Amino acid sequence: MDPQTQNTSLQRLQNVERRVVRVLDIAGGVMDELASPSGPKKEFINSHCREFMQSMKDIQVTLREEIKSVCEYRPFEKCDYNARIANEICLQKLEYVLTQLDDLKKTADRYPSSG
Amino acid sequence: MDSDMEISLDRLPIKRLESIEENGAERFPSDVNYDDKRVSLIRRIDFAWALEEEDELKKKKQKKSSKESSEQWQWKGMVENLQLAHQELSVIIDLINTVEANDAVTVAGMTKPKPMPNELLSDLAVSTATKLQSYRHLGKYFKQSAKALEQKVNREARFYGALIRLQRNWKVKRQRVLASNASNEGFTIDLSDSSLYDPTSGFRPSTLSTIRVEHDSAGMLAINLPQDSWYSLRFGFVGLNSIDNPNESAEHIDSTTGQDTTSEKLSVSDEESVKETHSLLREVHKSIFAEQLFDMLNREAFSEGVGFSISGIRENFLEMSIGQGASLFVSLYPSGKNASIKKSESAIVPMESSGGIELVEGDSRVKKLGFPSRASYDIYLQQIFHEHVFGKAKDQTKSKSSQASNQTAKDNNSGLLDHFCLSLAHRIFSTRVVVQLESVVCKVPYLHLISHPTWNSRTSSWTVCMTVPPSIIPQGSSETQSLDGKRNLKTQFRTKVVVKDDCISVEAECTPNVVGLLKSSSCNLFSMNKYECDLADLPVIILQQVTSQIVCWLLEEARTVGTKASRDFLSLSLEIVEGERVSLVAQVNPEDAKGCISWWLVMENGCTEERKGVSESRKLLGHLSLDVLYSVLMDLINLCGSGRNPLDRL
Repeated sequence: MDPQTQNTSLQRLQNVERRVVRVLDIAGGVMDELASPSGPKKEFINSHCREFMQSMKDIQVTLREEIKSVCEYRPFEKCDYNARIANEICLQKLEYVLTQLDDLKKTADRYPSSG
Repeated sequence: MDSDMEISLDRLPIKRLESIEENGAERFPSDVNYDDKRVSLIRRIDFAWALEEEDELKKKKQKKSSKESSEQWQWKGMVENLQLAHQELSVIIDLINTVEANDAVTVAGMTKPKPMPNELLSDLAVSTATKLQSYRHLGKYFKQSAKALEQKVNREARFYGALIRLQRNWKVKRQRVLASNASNEGFTIDLSDSSLYDPTSGFRPSTLSTIRVEHDSAGMLAINLPQDSWYSLRFGFVGLNSIDNPNESAEHIDSTTGQDTTSEKLSVSDEESVKETHSLLREVHKSIFAEQLFDMLNREAFSEGVGFSISGIRENFLEMSIGQGASLFVSLYPSGKNASIKKSESAIVPMESSGGIELVEGDSRVKKLGFPSRASYDIYLQQIFHEHVFGKAKDQTKSKSSQASNQTAKDNNSGLLDHFCLSLAHRIFSTRVVVQLESVVCKVPYLHLISHPTWNSRTSSWTVCMTVPPSIIPQGSSETQSLDGKRNLKTQFRTKVVVKDDCISVEAECTPNVVGLLKSSSCNLFSMNKYECDLADLPVIILQQVTSQIVCWLLEEARTVGTKASRDFLSLSLEIVEGERVSLVAQVNPEDAKGCISWWLVMENGCTEERKGVSESRKLLGHLSLDVLYSVLMDLINLCGSGRNPLDRL
């Protein structure tokens, strides 16, 4: 995975989750290969195990970085609910003004433009 | 009897000594029974020859049937071997059972028999097969758990993605839930604003302010709120059918934020569901604000107010009369899909059923009553409350150290309701004023009405403008100059009408005086006067004011030429010759449909004042425009110069 595409820690953590799933899948594949009746294919097992170990390492590295960079939890410092209510009031004002303008337009349309 | 005779000799039946022991005891053989004797005798007989014969017979038989019974013999050997083995096994088993049952006997040691090679191989094969089986099992387990984990990760990604999007706008809080059910991780959305709540003001956070975040059937974030649990403010005038229903658009929005059926939810994408949840939260937030507002109104309703008197209180409903013949109600009604059923009982007709005609009728009725638009006052009420609350919160954060207890008494009554009702009453009144002004201005063509914004909810002001034609008299040296050195060149006369609460005041120059002006100098003419009047008198007052301004203007024009002119209330008199006066008299009638100001020309003979009826001739000139009036004046002025009878000319 291209590291530049994950610019938020959230995306990185999501990627870690996906990797864990992939790691489990690899383990399952290896087990199946070992259990195959014709005997396991060596390169297959090798490549899969390599991928497994690499993924585990990546997961560990990413998690360590994220844990180091986690900021401490701050309670809500500023609340913008007041501004939100003010916005709602402004929205109502706008709607009202729009209806007024529509009425004006209707009135103006009633009188044909005199040449 | 030729063979030899064999003779056998028995022993004498004398007891013969069998043995002598050391101690001299003698042993004699025991007596033999008669049967025993016979058996022993029989034994003496040699039957060997009979046996040999039998054997020979058997051998012959065997030789005959040797081939046929060879197998039987072999089986018999095997059978015998097996029987022997069975016997030995049963012995061993018995032994084992005895050992088992018997505690006194224990097994000292066992030696395993050395395994044979094929046994070894089969053991190996079995163990290998078991290992392969367990690998397969493990592989399947890993793959299954990978799939399950992927599903869980995806589902949680949806949930947490939605939660993060909501967190941008709302406060999300979490309580670690100790219960084992993992369906609710204890997230709540907190809609209350803690900065606004202080114990002195008595604001209590409403029950709606904490909303639980739950999962829906697909694991996505969902908020379950009963339909009618949130409110919105409804505001209106008692007895008036609602024409403009500002809450209609709100209801339209509400119907889409209601809980859809599960079949519809499947087709809603994640983004839309987040938007719906967001809209729902907005509605609830607005509802909390509406509840606070209503709470404040209720509290203020019990304090003395000038502008209102409470006429009815019910649950979530407040009715008051505000003067000007209007009665206002404010109510909290639950908004949701079935809100139309539960609307308050103040004769509100839903908009959907009314046709276009009703709209026009209602409009005119609204105009007649002068009631302002509900939406505008709904918004105004919310705004002043919000500013008040917000301002108070700001003040509190600034002055938290000075906890003056005497502030609370003042704070409890902020006079908002009073102010609001007075504003509403003022608006109703000023609408009526406008109606009157318009009725005047519409009829007189040379008047214009201008309204001014006052940025004060209890003050309104208008100006009635009149533009007069420009003077054709050139500025000459003989004209009278006013005292301040400037020539009073008026092209526009303004009459200002200001309404404060319900007081009308008119401010203009050239006010008509009932008592004639004793001094005819121009300095008094154009002074501004301010006076009050009633609504019913307003049209007449305005017309009189305007006419008086016209008369003053004409007077000024006449004076610049040098004519002896005087003004008396609404008439302008010019002296033609000694004792003869011609007057332009205005008649104002606000009900006149063609124009409210009509002019008369009156000819007076000064010496026959007592017999006015005979020597006074009147002629109605009718409604004149200002240009025509000006030209009439000029003609009269010319006549003044020439001294002829003006009425002959006309």
